[in-house]
Amino acid sequence: MERSEEALPDSAGLVLPSSTITANSSANSRGPPQWPTIDGPLGLSEEDSIEYARRFFKFGFLFLPWLWALNCFYFWPVLRHSPSFPHIRPYVVRSAIGFTVFTALLGSWALTFAIGGERLFSHVWDELLMYNFADKYGLTGWI
Amino acid sequence: MDQNSRPRRTILESLGEEIIRIITPVSICMFLVVILVSILNTNNDSSFSQSISTIATVAYTEDSSDSTWDKLKGALLNSLVFVVVVTAVTFFLVLLFYFRCTKFLKYYMGFSSFLVLAFTGGEIALLLVQDLSFPVDCVTFLLVLYNFTVVGVLAVFMSKMAIFVTQGYLVVIGMLVAYWFTLLPEWTTWVLLVAMSLYDLAAVLLPGGPLRLLVELAISRDEDIPALVYEARPVNHHNSGGGLTQRSWRRRSSGNESANSGCNVGSAHLPSGSSENRAYVEEVGAAGGDSALSAPLIERRIDVQMHLAEDVVPGENLALEGIGLGSSGAIKLGLGDFIFYSVLVGRAAMYDFMTVYACYLAIIAGLGITLMLLAVYQKALPALPVSVMLGVLFYLLTRLLLEAFVVECSINLLMF
Repeated sequence: MERSEEALPDSAGLVLPSSTITANSSANSRGPPQWPTIDGPLGLSEEDSIEYARRFFKFGFLFLPWLWALNCFYFWPVLRHSPSFPHIRPYVVRSAIGFTVFTALLGSWALTFAIGGERLFSHVWDELLMYNFADKYGLTGWI
Repeated sequence: MDQNSRPRRTILESLGEEIIRIITPVSICMFLVVILVSILNTNNDSSFSQSISTIATVAYTEDSSDSTWDKLKGALLNSLVFVVVVTAVTFFLVLLFYFRCTKFLKYYMGFSSFLVLAFTGGEIALLLVQDLSFPVDCVTFLLVLYNFTVVGVLAVFMSKMAIFVTQGYLVVIGMLVAYWFTLLPEWTTWVLLVAMSLYDLAAVLLPGGPLRLLVELAISRDEDIPALVYEARPVNHHNSGGGLTQRSWRRRSSGNESANSGCNVGSAHLPSGSSENRAYVEEVGAAGGDSALSAPLIERRIDVQMHLAEDVVPGENLALEGIGLGSSGAIKLGLGDFIFYSVLVGRAAMYDFMTVYACYLAIIAGLGITLMLLAVYQKALPALPVSVMLGVLFYLLTRLLLEAFVVECSINLLMF
């Protein structure tokens, strides 16, 4: 991953003490991270992050579990270090829970559909199948 | 500890890493397009070639029974029309930028990426599902597509999203548009590539070229051009302060303080090469929408920016922050380059994999040459011509000469 390729700043004291804490294990031993986002110093500050985390969480309710997953990915340091970032943490944790629940539901429905097939659904299966659905409504061939 | 006594990072680490960070996504995009072309085109060979009707084929629709000369003439006509349309749209864009309609341009970018992700992405996903006979139902499919599209538009639209996600979505958009371009007839595609690279050369280097005007406007106003631009992660140079690794649009006060503090220590022992070298490579590419959809043209702009300095004087640093062009060493490559490189390789894939390897190497070599020229000339240079010309040359040579050689050797069990 590209993050690990970033060279840590030299120890001559030119830079912020923990400005490039990344998600690798050596960083954890230094203590709480300074940056809540996974991009480190290139990402958001803590004050901006609260707004973003909240907005991502709220928008995720529009049937957007991928946005919740993105929320967790982006604020990964918040999840890893429990005591830090008390304002951001609730949103990220709730996003993670929401994403897991939604994915479990969607996954089970998709698997049931795929594995069950015609035996389970009888003629409705054919209608719900995507390529038949597309053919029926003429969705292909736009390209 | 004296800064001068520390060994500088080798050229491989500093420059090489920056180049790798731009070559990797270009390679990934090309690889994905090759995979798409291989999967989707083995099943239906010519059934799609007649169904495309776009701006690029408005003058002439290629028929496989036409003579070579007719095909060439038709392809030239098509490319001419396309280049004229692209030029007109680019001038219109420069006009809009001149009148500071940046909001409109941003919304237009978001809208066009929505179109690409939703419709082209949906179409291609549908084709994949059909070809692979994947038993997915419409609810799941539409939900996944909806998620993908909305998050993609957010990633492209919002500048403060996870870098990895933005980069990933830009690569995906490039891949989708490139695949769409490979659906054009063969002769038209090749002549179009050559025509676009010539247009690029003209638009960036000629004094009246639209892209040159755009770059000069952006520099004079210290603004960022609103465009779909892939920005590589900045490389953290050892000798520069940590605060310099912030992206250009960050205006945090604490960031400036840290940059200043870093540079104040650094200014005590300025290394020799302390001036900023900044160069631009700009180009505009546009994709024609399907006429049935009457979709607006999608603009792509290319902007390769290379930061060669190892350290920055504090005054210059503040000036650069004012210019807003990124005091970090990030290389930016616009999406048009991604698209046209991938179109070239995708078209080569439609013939055989041998041409794919040859064209890939040609394009990467061209990209390297372009970056070197950038370092030498340090002004706006077009990124498309060298790579595309090399790519087309290698394709022709491979198809005409190398293939015969390799096939004969293999048949006679000599090599390969």
